Amino acid sequence: MKLIMSDRPLQLHLPTGDEVQWIDLSQLCIHHCVGCFGCWTKTPGKCVIRDDAVTVYPKIAQSEAVIYVSRIRYGSYDIAMKTVLERAIPVQQAFIRVLDGETHHIQRRVVPKKAVIIAYGADGEEEREIFRRLVSRNARNMNLEQYEVLFTTETQLEQTVQNEVEKWNRL
Amino acid sequence: MEQIMILNGSPRAPKSNSKRYAKIFRQYCKMDTAYFDISKSNHLSLCSEMERFSKLLLVFPLYADGIPVTLLDFLKTLEQNPPPKKPSVSVLINCGFLESGQNDVAVDMVRLFCRKNGYPFGCVLKIGSGEAILDTPFRILAIRKIKALSKGVQKGEHKAFKVSMPLSRKMFIKASTSYWIRYGQKNNVTREQMATLNIEDQ
Repeated sequence: MKLIMSDRPLQLHLPTGDEVQWIDLSQLCIHHCVGCFGCWTKTPGKCVIRDDAVTVYPKIAQSEAVIYVSRIRYGSYDIAMKTVLERAIPVQQAFIRVLDGETHHIQRRVVPKKAVIIAYGADGEEEREIFRRLVSRNARNMNLEQYEVLFTTETQLEQTVQNEVEKWNRL
Repeated sequence: MEQIMILNGSPRAPKSNSKRYAKIFRQYCKMDTAYFDISKSNHLSLCSEMERFSKLLLVFPLYADGIPVTLLDFLKTLEQNPPPKKPSVSVLINCGFLESGQNDVAVDMVRLFCRKNGYPFGCVLKIGSGEAILDTPFRILAIRKIKALSKGVQKGEHKAFKVSMPLSRKMFIKASTSYWIRYGQKNNVTREQMATLNIEDQ
């Protein structure tokens, strides 16, 4: 499965069928993680908050290719994308392993993935560099075996996403 | 008189480790402090309270490799509703991993917010193994660094501190595994259940 997850509506031409799925987070109701550790220690693999997030993180886990589209704030994903990534911790176990010389959580059944992170609204090179470092850290914790970070503007956003979707189509 | 405003940006602020760290900070701080949890509904009141303080300490956990949404959301409100006189901002961040350096990106996000919005940046304390360190004999190491942070904040210094459990990764994983197994046992969940590979039964 291939997954596009965006924090805003986009006009995209997607291939027919179920192979490519697109989630527009702006249309979903996803509450903030409350840090209860329930998904690790009470109902392992399931978030105790039963909102739209519970339909999203299994798709993230199952996808071998993802495109995440998010506005940037202070070098971070903005609220919509950050909220869903925080709510995706049921895909990890509480238990720790060593990965690339650092301690990280063990993943559950998370398919290793190729990721393209498309970020818009960056304000200068310092913010872009912090965001690149963030994605580099995400790669270890979200099983991104390959990733690319693309910066674009709001006006170029749809075309940038479409270009990446067409690369999928050519594979 | 100078005062320090302490804001807890943890998503589970009232029951958080961040609250425990803030409490220790207050114990060793000679200046007056005022503590607040950030909630979804109090952003504007915190922004208006801020004018009473010359220093701000943000206490929060690392979340998905960055600053938690609770804090991010507040910073966006603060950007739109700045106090007339901007306090210097210090950071006390903790993560559950052994390496305190895993907090670096989140700290740099706060630094960027400060630089963009004209807040002087003060001191930072990065805590590794922060989920458990206060309940181990290594608590004393964390307290020592929080005292140092407190001194630095009060003096208006620009210092960076870090602390973690002085364990090898192998020992840390062993200790951490025991910690989480005990946590699960409180909910009648076994180690094997906690280690399931299933995500929402898939």
